[in-house]
Amino acid sequence: MKKDEFLVALEDILQTEDSIDVNQNLDEMEEWDSLSKMAVMAYYKKNFEIAITLNDLKDIKTPVDLIKLAGEKIDD
Amino acid sequence: MALSRFKHAKISGVSVVVPEKEINIYDEAEYYGNSVKKIDRMRKMVGFWKRRVADNTTTPADLAFNAAQNLIKEMNIDKSTVDALVFVVQQPDVMNPATAYFLHDKLGLSQNCIATDINQGCAGWIFGLHMVSQMVESGAYKKVLLLNGDTPSVGIDPSNRNSAPIFGDGGCATLVEYSEDEIDSFYNIETVSSGFEAIVSPFSGTRFRMDWSNENEFDFLKELICETIVMPTGMRVPLMGGYMDGIAVFDFTIKVVPENIKNVLKYAGVSQGDINVLCLHQANKQIIQSVGIGAGFEEEKIPYTAFETYGNNTMCSIPTTIACLDKEIKKDKLCCCGYGNGLIAASAVLNLENTYVSEVKTFVKPDYVRTREGYIDYWRKKIKGE
Repeated sequence: MKKDEFLVALEDILQTEDSIDVNQNLDEMEEWDSLSKMAVMAYYKKNFEIAITLNDLKDIKTPVDLIKLAGEKIDD
Repeated sequence: MALSRFKHAKISGVSVVVPEKEINIYDEAEYYGNSVKKIDRMRKMVGFWKRRVADNTTTPADLAFNAAQNLIKEMNIDKSTVDALVFVVQQPDVMNPATAYFLHDKLGLSQNCIATDINQGCAGWIFGLHMVSQMVESGAYKKVLLLNGDTPSVGIDPSNRNSAPIFGDGGCATLVEYSEDEIDSFYNIETVSSGFEAIVSPFSGTRFRMDWSNENEFDFLKELICETIVMPTGMRVPLMGGYMDGIAVFDFTIKVVPENIKNVLKYAGVSQGDINVLCLHQANKQIIQSVGIGAGFEEEKIPYTAFETYGNNTMCSIPTTIACLDKEIKKDKLCCCGYGNGLIAASAVLNLENTYVSEVKTFVKPDYVRTREGYIDYWRKKIKGE
């Protein structure tokens, strides 16, 4: 998956109407709540077959960090 | 893995009741800053929509009683032939004796019919089926009435948006009978008891006892009952209420439950493609889909209508889901999975092809139910011998 595609997918995962930049500070977004974190976990499992835990998401600051978690599954 | 197979335990009938009162999340906009957008987001992400809630005088036993009345009437069951009553409940009417005895009396079952309770939560329907199937398979009991009831919504503060929009209440009655003809059922029950504290009511039993040798005990208890604690998530909860470690439960649900389902399929010799519907405990839409997809099912085979329509009615949510299925759906191969306090994961491959499944019925409060004041008055008089 391309990075831009992931960012569009992330907008859908978070159910936000704002567009998300790769360096967006997620903690500043109202939608970056526990529901969104669980939705991210489900998305990674379904699309990348990567099992992440809520603990893995604790130190996530920006979409760049999320992309790193996906390893080779998301291209630059 | 606790895998088991039964060949003669037939699920003959299932009937579910839900309370009449419906709460729609769109009528609760005040808790979402009057923003329909925010509610739409919750609806889409977790499936919050409608839920059916009981009043403060209705107990889990009352819901189960009404479901049993309906099943007995609809299937024309001869009550004198029921030889066991098993009531799965986590909030019994009284601590002693088992609430099953109360239900046995109210239903007018025979002196030759045994009665007992099983304490289990969201996995309670599958867990109960697993237990009564053994009773029937052994030949010791020919006709067993399995009852389930729960009122998780009662007593929740409506402003608690983490819990209030999730839960609905319900009762269920299931008849399991010995069948000479072979009818297969497969179970996989896993116990992850290290998660005992992940969903628990720590002050509900004898682990916490009142100490009347303390002369200030009454004031101490009053303070304790009023004490609230802020969780790391920012949620404020009463110390003496039910506790749930949401993160631990979610991690268990994602890691253990899908594998539990895959293993029961393997044991039953079927694949995801052979299963017509995956009926999961209706925790919420997000969890249902995560578990189902994790277990290798297509989204179309993982219904969550019951959650959106009635709320998460814990141990009744799987039979509620089955009752909501379209008539055209073949029920000869259903995979079901309950998961919850214990912690346990309980999956089954069931054949409901020749099972009577009633539509979801509206709860009719039994005549015997008293008001709170009436209950106190009844026991005052009873103890006085009046």
